[in-house]
Amino acid sequence: MADQSTEFLKGTLDLMILKTLSWAPAHGYGIARWIEQCTDDILTVEEGSLYPALYRMEDAGLIVADWGISENNRRAKFYRLTTAGKKQLRASHDYWARFATAVSRVLETSPRSA
Amino acid sequence: MTVVDPQQAAPPRAEHARTWRRYLRFFGPRGAADLDDELRFHVEMRVGEYMACGMTEAEARAATAHRLGNLATARETCVAITTRRERRMTRTQLIDHFVHDMRFAVRSLGRNKGWTAVAILTLAVGIGANSAMFSVVNHLLLNPLSYPNADRIAALFLVPTEGAPKDQLVMVTPDAKLVEAWRDNARSLEALEPYATTDVLLERGAGTPALARVGRIRPSFGAFAGQRPIVGRLFTDQEATDGVNVGLLAEGTWRARFGADRALVGGTLRVNGTPVTIIGVMPDALALPRTNDGDVDLWMPIDPVRDEIHMRLVARLSPGVLPDAAQRELDAIAAGAQTSAVVQAGYNAKLMAPAEMVSFKDSLVLLSAAVALVLLIACANVMHLLLARAAARQRELAIRSALGAGTGRLFRQLLTESLLLSFAGCLGGIVVGWAALRALVAARPQALADLASVRMDGSTLLLTAAIAVATGLLFGVTGAIHAARHSTNEALKAGALATSGSRRRGRARSLLVVSEMALCTVLLVSAGLLLRSVSHLRHKDIGFDPRGLYTLEPRLPAERYTSAAAKVAFRSELVKRVRAMPGVDALTLASAAPLSTTYLLGALQRDGDPDPPAGTTALISYNSVASNYFTVMGIRIVQGTNFTDTTAAGAQAIVNEGMAQQLWPDGSAIGRRVRVVYGGSGDWKTIVGVAANASTVGVTRDANVPMLYGAHDDASFFSPALLVRASGGAPVVQALTGIAAAVDPLLPPPRVQAVEDAMRSTMARPRFTMLLLGIFAAVAVALAAVGLYGVLAYNVAQRTREIGIRMALGASRRRVAREILSQGLLMVVLGAVAGLVAARLGTKLLAHTLYGVQQTDPLAFAGGTAVLIVIAVLACVVPVRRALAVDPQIAMRAD
Repeated sequence: MADQSTEFLKGTLDLMILKTLSWAPAHGYGIARWIEQCTDDILTVEEGSLYPALYRMEDAGLIVADWGISENNRRAKFYRLTTAGKKQLRASHDYWARFATAVSRVLETSPRSA
Repeated sequence: MTVVDPQQAAPPRAEHARTWRRYLRFFGPRGAADLDDELRFHVEMRVGEYMACGMTEAEARAATAHRLGNLATARETCVAITTRRERRMTRTQLIDHFVHDMRFAVRSLGRNKGWTAVAILTLAVGIGANSAMFSVVNHLLLNPLSYPNADRIAALFLVPTEGAPKDQLVMVTPDAKLVEAWRDNARSLEALEPYATTDVLLERGAGTPALARVGRIRPSFGAFAGQRPIVGRLFTDQEATDGVNVGLLAEGTWRARFGADRALVGGTLRVNGTPVTIIGVMPDALALPRTNDGDVDLWMPIDPVRDEIHMRLVARLSPGVLPDAAQRELDAIAAGAQTSAVVQAGYNAKLMAPAEMVSFKDSLVLLSAAVALVLLIACANVMHLLLARAAARQRELAIRSALGAGTGRLFRQLLTESLLLSFAGCLGGIVVGWAALRALVAARPQALADLASVRMDGSTLLLTAAIAVATGLLFGVTGAIHAARHSTNEALKAGALATSGSRRRGRARSLLVVSEMALCTVLLVSAGLLLRSVSHLRHKDIGFDPRGLYTLEPRLPAERYTSAAAKVAFRSELVKRVRAMPGVDALTLASAAPLSTTYLLGALQRDGDPDPPAGTTALISYNSVASNYFTVMGIRIVQGTNFTDTTAAGAQAIVNEGMAQQLWPDGSAIGRRVRVVYGGSGDWKTIVGVAANASTVGVTRDANVPMLYGAHDDASFFSPALLVRASGGAPVVQALTGIAAAVDPLLPPPRVQAVEDAMRSTMARPRFTMLLLGIFAAVAVALAAVGLYGVLAYNVAQRTREIGIRMALGASRRRVAREILSQGLLMVVLGAVAGLVAARLGTKLLAHTLYGVQQTDPLAFAGGTAVLIVIAVLACVVPVRRALAVDPQIAMRAD
């Protein structure tokens, strides 16, 4: 699986970031760890894509960042969702769910049963 | 690894975020540095994670580095996004702040309507006076000509090697041959245009002839001045050389006198009776270079020989050539050109920019300086107002600053307010300036005709706006510095008393008053000097009696009066008729009637002097007069006799006291001989009399200028004017004007002037200068008095409590009054002393504008100071009375 763990479908990283932040504000490492833990390390978040994604989303007004203190008492930049971000999350969530269902149907359906 | 349920996993912690947030916000966003911090944190967390799995730190770091790979590209992307974002935010924020500041400024100025009105009015007066004055200076001195490349235009003429008599600008025009030589050879001149003006009688068909001014030019003058005919064409070089009678009407004349009749082009008009074909119409924008050349009605080709005597030259220097270098080249050409006239030897070429020829240049420079002082005083006053307001607003600013408004933000706020204020003042100033200019142009004396065409233009408006910005910045910056000096704490703690301002601020305000007083003193002393000068001119003994004296100068057209005999015949007939006029008491002839001068060219040689070296030329004031001239004019012969009325008079001369003193300082001039050597020869004349000095050229001229009188005879080179002493006023002028036409109906109307009026008009410039400077001084004193009043009244208001306490403790009212008064007077005296020193230096500017008064005239200095002190004391009265009216009981209960 390791080889495929780096593969992200376009847009899925953004969605996962939004979802992660919907629980609570988090810093970049926190977001990466959360996604890795949730997927049991199936998905590895590339730092090279994570941070540009965060900055892009911040620029687009989906998330905002503030400096704060991390759980181990270090200065860290925390991201949280904005109203626009929440709206975007709902829209992407619905879309992704339909898309995933559709994909799994294609994968799970054999010609005979059709 | 176990699957973690997102619902149950502990979310990342963020409770401390808020503290940090506020703290860090303070420093603003830091883009790239923030990003690096963020990434470093990420790395540390990863290392920690690996170490938690049992790796050593070194292994963990290596693993992290391996995992993260190269983050350079990602970092770059992030930095680009952040930078863009920050820039965008700064921009919006700036606009936001500006809009907010403007709104705030409008509100805060609107709250204090009286204060704002006074400040704007003060600025409007100061700025308006300057913009009006600058319009005049810009029009007359900076941009006198609308020709292309006007900065390279200069009048060209000759000056005698020995110069002209003091204070007199005499332009000698070279002969036609030299003009040709210059035109052909001078490389430092891009163009050289001769021109002349003559007054003629102009008539169409059988209509009534009317006086018109003909401008005689070469065809190339149109291109030189950047103008082309609006109808028809300009004459050709061929027409000009052949002396064909063609002409172009000036647009204004064409419209006003001929109803813009197109049929006129191609038709003929009669000029002094000679038919001239009209071939076109020239726009009014085509003008001769000097304002006193007058408005031209008809443009005709110049004839260099016939028009030689009236001819003037205007040149355009080649790019980059300095007038001095050009003059040297022209002199060299003149020396090399073997022209017939001996003239060239004794002269130097002189190029003069049109602005230098403006008759009242000195006055304009002086008035500009004065008006700048008025602006300074106005600024000082507004500064007072701002300081007073700053004191009142100290608490407001302190509160805002305590609530988190940064120094920069407050500074911007103050700056916006003062800029708004000065822009309002600028708008007011444009209105005031416009009105002032209209009044100035309307009230101009006839002698200052140049003023008629002055308008406000773009560069004036630009300057006005520049003044507004400069004053706005000045006010804003000083205000902000003051605000910054006072700490927030102090202002807040002090409670209601915080508005009392510190001693330092009081000192700044006093300093402003002192400098205002100093500037006022300079203006008052200058006005006093000019007043003394004008009064001197009014009471000056001019050496002759102008009352009931009239001059009559016929204009004989050169085309019809070709021989001297014809002129003499005309003159004898004219003299006969004038003598027969009722009311005429006496009549005499003089080549230089009052207000005009004639000169002899050459070197003056006394009996016994060595022959003057060849090539020395001076202009010697000379008047060729009939023997009854001195009697009719009322000029005393102080020594010797008048001309004897015989043939002997031709060998006699009379000198004025000035010349007698200059040539024979130690003894009597009577019986001595002089001659004017010109081209190596000249006839000796014996001095028979010394005449009293007379200011016949105008009251402002020095009567002591040496003057030589010769006896008039009909063969003389000069054609004399008639001088008539008559009773009857204006009808005399009319009768004299009509009488020339009675002798020759084709003659243009002669020049007739009442000498008394003409002499008075020579005082117009000094009087006008004095009037304007007086107005400026009055405005300045009024502003300064308001300033002084403001400071004292403010101090009294501030010290009400203190005064109350002291009165309650037994201080007498007299003592309190004395204290307030002496505080005010101290400022006045300090200002006056500084002002007197400044005036002593500053009045050097007046050197050319004063007549018969020393620049250090003690009366003017004392008078100016006295006026200042009287007005200052008046300004102190109200605050002192207010201090006296303080009721101790009420004052102590306040606050």
